[in-house]
Amino acid sequence: MRERNKNRWWYAVLAAGLTIGLAGCGEHQEKEEEKAEIKDSVTVVMGPSSEPEAGFDPAYGWGAGEHVHEPLIQSTLTVTNQDLTIGYDLATGMEVSEDGMTWTVDIRKDVRFTDGEPLTAEDVAFTYNTLRDTSSVNDFTMLEEAVAVDGDTVEFHMTKPYSIWPYTMAVVGILPEHAYGPDYGSNPIGSGRYMLKQWDKGQQVILEANPDYYGEAPKMKQVTVLFMEEDAAFAAAKSGQVDLVYTAAAYADQQIKGYELLAFETVDNRGFNLPVIPAGTEDKNGVPLGNDFTSDVRVRRAINVGIDREEMIGNVLNGYGSPAYSVCDKMPWYYEGSEIEYDPELAAELLDEAGWKLGSDGMRQKNGIQAGFTLMYAAGDSVRQALAQDTANQLKELGIQVTVEGVGWDTAYDRAQSDPMMWGWGAHTPMELYNIYHTAPGGEYATYSPYSNETVDRYMDEALACNDLEESYELWKKAQWDGTTGITQEGDIPWIWLVNIDHLYFSRDGLQVAEQKLHPHGHGWSIVNNVDQWSWEF
Amino acid sequence: MIHRNRREMMVLLAAVSLILLAAVTIAGANVYGDAMVTDFSRKNLPPCLEYPFGTDFMGRDMFVRTIAGLSVSIRLGLVTAAFSAVIAFFMGMAAAVLGKTADGLVSGLIDLMMGIPHILLLILISFACGKGFWGVVIGISMTHWTSLARLIRGEVLQLRESNYMKIAARLGHGKLRTAMVHMTPHLLPQFITGLVLLFPHAILHEASITFLGFGLSPEEPAIGVILSESMKYLVTGEWWLAVFPGVLLVGVVLLFHILGQGVLLILDPERAHE
Repeated sequence: MRERNKNRWWYAVLAAGLTIGLAGCGEHQEKEEEKAEIKDSVTVVMGPSSEPEAGFDPAYGWGAGEHVHEPLIQSTLTVTNQDLTIGYDLATGMEVSEDGMTWTVDIRKDVRFTDGEPLTAEDVAFTYNTLRDTSSVNDFTMLEEAVAVDGDTVEFHMTKPYSIWPYTMAVVGILPEHAYGPDYGSNPIGSGRYMLKQWDKGQQVILEANPDYYGEAPKMKQVTVLFMEEDAAFAAAKSGQVDLVYTAAAYADQQIKGYELLAFETVDNRGFNLPVIPAGTEDKNGVPLGNDFTSDVRVRRAINVGIDREEMIGNVLNGYGSPAYSVCDKMPWYYEGSEIEYDPELAAELLDEAGWKLGSDGMRQKNGIQAGFTLMYAAGDSVRQALAQDTANQLKELGIQVTVEGVGWDTAYDRAQSDPMMWGWGAHTPMELYNIYHTAPGGEYATYSPYSNETVDRYMDEALACNDLEESYELWKKAQWDGTTGITQEGDIPWIWLVNIDHLYFSRDGLQVAEQKLHPHGHGWSIVNNVDQWSWEF
Repeated sequence: MIHRNRREMMVLLAAVSLILLAAVTIAGANVYGDAMVTDFSRKNLPPCLEYPFGTDFMGRDMFVRTIAGLSVSIRLGLVTAAFSAVIAFFMGMAAAVLGKTADGLVSGLIDLMMGIPHILLLILISFACGKGFWGVVIGISMTHWTSLARLIRGEVLQLRESNYMKIAARLGHGKLRTAMVHMTPHLLPQFITGLVLLFPHAILHEASITFLGFGLSPEEPAIGVILSESMKYLVTGEWWLAVFPGVLLVGVVLLFHILGQGVLLILDPERAHE
């Protein structure tokens, strides 16, 4: 009996020793591996909504759509430069005909897809014709047909002049005609900087550098993208498992050892619409249009100057943001005169002038009606909720009673036709101006909020018809304010823009994130637009 | 010192519970407006004398918000429990009194409702009714009458076989009259106890579907809203956002439980001598 016990002890000691020894070995090896690997690979965390539902197919939203970014796996004809003017990727030159109805684009001859096949003008034509017929997220109504003239020239025949076509070309990844099918989304073949190595749906995407890339070879050989909720992402950074982690202002004042906070400027703006027509009418689907309070332009102007944007940035974004005065701040087509000063006295004057008089309770009234409106926000978005709340607090000081209400997207679009709603916009194309301010084709007012101004429409139509991109920027600016009318403070001011939200990241010490373009709306893939140029420095 | 027996103690405890719950309900209703007030100059404060439960990311006073939330919960529980108890009462009575077909129908309906997971059905009904206070009330009422209805049905079936019921029938009293005059008083203890015990259920369900985003609107002070918002901030160490409202929710549910036990003790003739 005793003998056996003694043996048992020995076994236990031996087992423990072995375990420790093996574990030690493992740890050692792991560290070695990590060091070798860490030089050219990076792990990035994005929110769960950044995972492309339909995979990496440009026809179903990859790279394009609401949250534009470079498609990485595929090449594009053009790219947007640092200052958001147009540069070339596959294209070597482009020309537009005098009437704006034909675009001719020459492409590189030395490009191969990752399966070895050459990329030709036929693939380009195939891509655009396919997207025109199937794309669920992009507007291709202006494209009649793409034609491959010869091996390296493509012609785009348009249904109407569309001067900002190069901005569309910057987000359309070129598909291989020979390898495109229903499962392309999960098995994409492209000619871009990276190849899809692995996609574990709901968890991660692993991209590997394309060894035959025609441009400068990517410095980062492997990019792993994880999809996590904000709090899980924060915890992942805290435990040191990841290199670059998206985060929100709510976490920005937290210190994580071994990480620094990076804040990137954006055009990811937040603002709310003010219906410019009085209540009482309906659209053809029976949706009520207009709002009696916001239909007075003096009221809209008062709201615009009556909001202290800097204070809002401090309150809601912990300082990580910049004031917004338009949907396209700092873009080449932005009219700088949109900027206004916070001026509560002017706001009070305007409201007095509009007949909204201060009562003894500090609130304004006209004919027994209380000045105010309901401000909606998408339920579940705490930043928009806080912005709406702060707007309500600030407008209360002016005597305007704002009721904040969380709504679902199922009802939001219809209700925004009569009540202001907190929106988020911002894209790398002037089309954003068109989508918000231009009268909807075939409709009476703009799509998202009742507003219509013939002059504004005309400038935008002219801008689209213009065959010189530089010139078109000036027309886009004129659409915002031409000296007599427009959408700015002196004009109709149908939307109030509040802030551009900085995109925040916790970045592991040593990671050199390359300089970023102004990020568009959507705190996702934009950050890795130039991941090929990132590096590690110790 | 006055010596009290268990029964007296229980009654006392139930009375205290009732007073506490009433106090929270009334206080909460009175501070409802304050619970919506945001003040960014005092955001993310840990508990202190001025704000015993701290403040949240928009500078809302969590103490006021919690009390208002509990008040909403209790009122919602009250309406919901009443609704489902009434449904249960009539369903149970109908099943037992109206004959075989009705019984089969109601029993089938009960089985059907019980067969579907509560929370799923609840979300569906609440969503279809446009969420909000009444969406939740209808959702919970429609899903929570079943067990009480089954209890009442069983009780009625038993009563129906008792001699005095048979005599009443022989004397020519109508079915409805016997049901109302002779059965109801016997059912009352079971019914009221069941009703009170429905409260905690209703309150927890309100909190859970609101937590999941299918209940009350996120700017309203509701325990579910508070708890789901707090999730985001737990990882940064703002424990007070979840702990106090959570503990108080459990407290309220416990008070209702005690109240239910007390009521049962007082009303149930079987236990009258304890």
